[in-house]
Amino acid sequence: MIGSVPLSDVLVASAALFLVGLAGALLRRSAISIFLSIEVMMNAANLALIGYGGALGTREGQLLVFFVIAIAAAEASVGLAIFVALFRHKETIDVNKINLLKW
Amino acid sequence: MSTLFSLWWIPALPLAGFLLCILFGKKLGKSFVSAVGAGSVGLATVVAYSRLIPFFSGDLAPAVERLSSWITAGSFSADLALRLDPLSAVMTSFVTFVGFLIHVYSIGYMRHDETEAGYARYFSYLNLFMFSMLILILGQNFLVMFVGWEGVGLCSYLLIGYYYDREYAAAAGKKAFVVNRIGDFGFLLGMFGIFTLFGSLDFDRVFPAAAADPGRYAPALTVVCLCLFVGAVGKSAQVPLYVWLPDAMAGPTPVSALIHAATMVTAGVYMVTRCNVLFRLAPEAMAVVAVIGGVTAIFAAVIAVAQNDIKKVLAYSTVSQLGYMFLACGVGAYAAGMFHVFTHAFFKACLFLGSGAVIHAMGGEQDMRKMGGLASKLPITFWTFLAATLALAGVPPLAGFFSKDAILASVFEGGSYILFAIGLLTAGLTAFYMMRLVSLTFAGRFRGTHEQEHHLHEAPASMTLPLVILAALSVVAGFLGLPKVLAENGSRFAAMLEPVLPKLATAEGAAHELSHSVEWLLIGASVLVAVAGLLVGWSWYGRGQGAVPGRIAAAWPGLYALVAEKFRIDELYDVLFVRPFDALCRGLWKVVDVLIIDGVLNASAFFVELAGDLLRFLQTGNVRNYALSLFLGLVGLLLLVIGFGY
Amino acid sequence: MTVSRLVFDAAAVLTVLFAAVMVIHRHPVKSVLALVVSFFGLAVCYVMLFAPFIAAIQVIVYAGAILVLFLFVLMLLNVPEEARERDPRPIQRFLSGAALLVFAASLLGIISSHGAPAAPAASSPSGEVAPLARMLFSSGLLPFEALSVLLLAALVGAYVLAQREEAK
Repeated sequence: MIGSVPLSDVLVASAALFLVGLAGALLRRSAISIFLSIEVMMNAANLALIGYGGALGTREGQLLVFFVIAIAAAEASVGLAIFVALFRHKETIDVNKINLLKW
Repeated sequence: MSTLFSLWWIPALPLAGFLLCILFGKKLGKSFVSAVGAGSVGLATVVAYSRLIPFFSGDLAPAVERLSSWITAGSFSADLALRLDPLSAVMTSFVTFVGFLIHVYSIGYMRHDETEAGYARYFSYLNLFMFSMLILILGQNFLVMFVGWEGVGLCSYLLIGYYYDREYAAAAGKKAFVVNRIGDFGFLLGMFGIFTLFGSLDFDRVFPAAAADPGRYAPALTVVCLCLFVGAVGKSAQVPLYVWLPDAMAGPTPVSALIHAATMVTAGVYMVTRCNVLFRLAPEAMAVVAVIGGVTAIFAAVIAVAQNDIKKVLAYSTVSQLGYMFLACGVGAYAAGMFHVFTHAFFKACLFLGSGAVIHAMGGEQDMRKMGGLASKLPITFWTFLAATLALAGVPPLAGFFSKDAILASVFEGGSYILFAIGLLTAGLTAFYMMRLVSLTFAGRFRGTHEQEHHLHEAPASMTLPLVILAALSVVAGFLGLPKVLAENGSRFAAMLEPVLPKLATAEGAAHELSHSVEWLLIGASVLVAVAGLLVGWSWYGRGQGAVPGRIAAAWPGLYALVAEKFRIDELYDVLFVRPFDALCRGLWKVVDVLIIDGVLNASAFFVELAGDLLRFLQTGNVRNYALSLFLGLVGLLLLVIGFGY
Repeated sequence: MTVSRLVFDAAAVLTVLFAAVMVIHRHPVKSVLALVVSFFGLAVCYVMLFAPFIAAIQVIVYAGAILVLFLFVLMLLNVPEEARERDPRPIQRFLSGAALLVFAASLLGIISSHGAPAAPAASSPSGEVAPLARMLFSSGLLPFEALSVLLLAALVGAYVLAQREEAK
C-alpha cells in the first residue's frame, strides 16, 4: 500500500502499459512509432519503480526514476538524430525497407 | 708428461681445419684451403706421433684422457674420453699418416677442375672425416665411438655425393648412407645389449667385467655380438651389406682411397677387435664372423675378375680384403686381422691413388678397355702401382704376404679347412684380377682415342710423392709382423697388441701350434697360388691381349654376364626391399596423408562453411526481426525461470 | 475504496488507453499528441503515489521536452502518414502476437504470486522534495554527475549524427 493505493493496482497498471508499448515496438512498421513505443515501455518501468519505492517506504524509487527520465531524454535526442539522418537518406520511415545488412 | 700434447689435439686439429675451410675457404682461395686442409691433418699427424713414439717405446700402458662427463641419467653415465692403447695407437698411426698423404695428393688432384667453393667444400668434408675417424678410434667408450661411427658415415655420404650434380653420384651417396644405417641399427642394438648386461658403455668397465665372469654373460653375448657385427657388416661392406661400396666409387678418387680403402671401412674390423673379449666368449658369433668374412672374400674376388672400370675392380678388391680381415677375427686371430688392416691401408691407398693418377692422365676415363701401354708414359705411377699390386697379391717379402700369410696360417691352425681353402683360392683370384688390371692398364698398346693419347702425362709431384711413400711402405711394412718360422719371438705387431687381447678363463678353441714344416708348407702354398695368379693374369691379358678370356666369355656368355653384372645383387635388393618399401611409402602418402588426414581437415572446413551458409539466413537486415528474436529469447528465459524456480 | 485510489485507477486507465491510441494511430502527430495525454495521466498517478516532484518532472521533461522534440522532428521532416500495406511476411506478426500473449500471462502470474514485497513499510514516505534532494546530492551524487556527462555526450552525438553530409 502506498497511501491508500494497493501495490497490486500499480503493478497491473505498469504491466498493462508495458505490454502496450511492447506490442507497439514489435508490430509497428514506422520508425517513429517504434521510438514512441519504447518511451512508453520506459514509463511503465518508471511507474513500477515508484510503486515499489513507496511500498518499501523509501525514496530510492523516485531517485531512480529521476535518473531514468534524464537518460530517456538523452536517448530520445540521439535516436531522433538517427531518425533524421535515416529519413534524409531513404525518404521512408518503413523499417522493413531499411535492410542494407541483409545477407 | 706435461710436455706432451693432450690426445684431444689429434681430432681437434682436423676439426679446426673443417671449420676454417667451410667458413672461409671460398673467400680466401685455394691456396688457403690447401694449406689449412692438408696442414691441419699434417699437424695432427705430428702431434699423434709425438704421443705414439713414446707410447710404443714405453710400457704400452693405456692412457685415458677424460674431457668431461657427457651424459648422466639415472644409472647410466658416459664421459667424453679418449683412450690410447696398443689398438687405438696402431689405428692412429696409419690413419693420420695415410690421411695426410691423401690430403696432399688431393691438392694436386682436385685443384684444377674445381671452383673455389667446391675445393673448399671438399677439404672441409675431408677434414671433418678425419675428425670423426679419429674420434672413432680413440674413443674410450661405445658412445664416443658411435659418434665417430656416425660421423664417418655422414662424411662418406657427403664425399661420395661430392659431384652432387651427377645423379649417379648423389644416388650412390644416399645408398651408402642408407645401407650404413641398417648396420648402425645393429650396432645400436648391440650397445643397448651391452648396457643392459654390464650397466656401462665404458671399455674399462665392460671388458674386464666380461673377462672376470664369463659364465654369467656368455649366453646373452652371442646375440649382442651378432648385433654389433651387423654394424661392422654395414660399415665394412661385407655380405650382404656391401652393395654401397662399389657405387661409392662415384666420389673423387682420393676419397675412395681414404675412406673406402684405408680408414672408414676398417672401422668395423677395429670395432670387432676392440670387443674381442666379448666375441671370444660367444663362439657362435665368431663362427658367423669367420664364415661371412670368407664368403665375402671369395664372392667379391669373383666379381672383380669381370669388372672393366678400374676403380670398381679396386672396390671389390677392398671388399674381398675386408673379408680376409673378418675371417681372421672370426678364427680368433685378431692380431693377424689388425696387421692386415695395417698393411692393406698402405697398398690399397697406393693402388687407389695410382688409379687416380691414371684417370687424371686419361682425362677422366675409367674404363680399362680404353687404356693400355701407359707404363712408358706414366713411369712413377706404373712402378708404384706394380709394387702395391705385388704387395696385395701376397708376394714375399712385400707387406701383403706377411699379413695374408698370418691370417691363412691362423685359419689353418684353427682347423677350419674349408675356410682355409676359400682363403687360398681367393688369394689366387686376387693375384689374377690385379695382374689383369695392371696388364690392361699399363701393358700392350694404347687403346684410347688420339685426344686422350696427347693428354697423357705423369702426375704432378703433389700426387706422385704420396704414391712413392705408400709404395715404399707397402714393401717394408711387412717386417713388423714376421711369422714364427722366420723369427723366434714372432710378430712384433702381435706382441704389441697383446694387452688388448687378454687371456680368458674359458678354454678357447685349442689352437694347436703348427709345426715348422707345416708352416713352411702353408707359406709355400700361398706363394705358389699368388705367383700362379699373377702369371695367368699376365699371360692372358698382357701378352695375350685378352684372347683367352675373350674365348671363355664367348663360350659361357650367361655366366660371364652374371659375374660382370655383380651377380645382379643390387637388382635383387631392389625387388626384395626397395620396391615394396617404395610401394608402402606411396600407399601411406596417397591413403593416409591425402585421403585421411587431408580429408578430415577438408571435411571440417566443409562443415564449417555449410553451417555458415545456413546460418546467414538469420541476418535479415530487418530490425523488427532482431527485436522479435530478442523478445522471444526473453520469453523463453522467463518460462524457464518460472518452470524451474517455482 | 478511497478517493485517492479511485483517482489513481482512473488516471491509470487513461494512461493505458491513450498509450494504446498512440500505438494504433497511423498519423505520427496524432500519435505523439495521444502520448502527451497518456503522460499527463501518468503524472497524476505519480501524485497519488506521493511522488509529486517526479510528477512535475514527468510533465516538464518527458511530456514537455521530449515529446515536443518528437513533434519538432516530425514537422521538420514532414513525416507522412504510415501507409496501409499488406505485410509480405506475416510471420513477424504471428510470432509477436503469440509471444506477447505468453508474456502477458506469465507477467501477470508473477505479479500476482510474487508482487508483494517481503517487508512492507509501515508508512509511505511523504511527498516532500527536500529529503529527495538530499538523497540526490549525497548517495546519488556519482550517478548525477555521470548523467551530466551522458547528456553532454548525447548532445554531441545528436549534433554529429544529424549533420548534413557535405556535397563531395
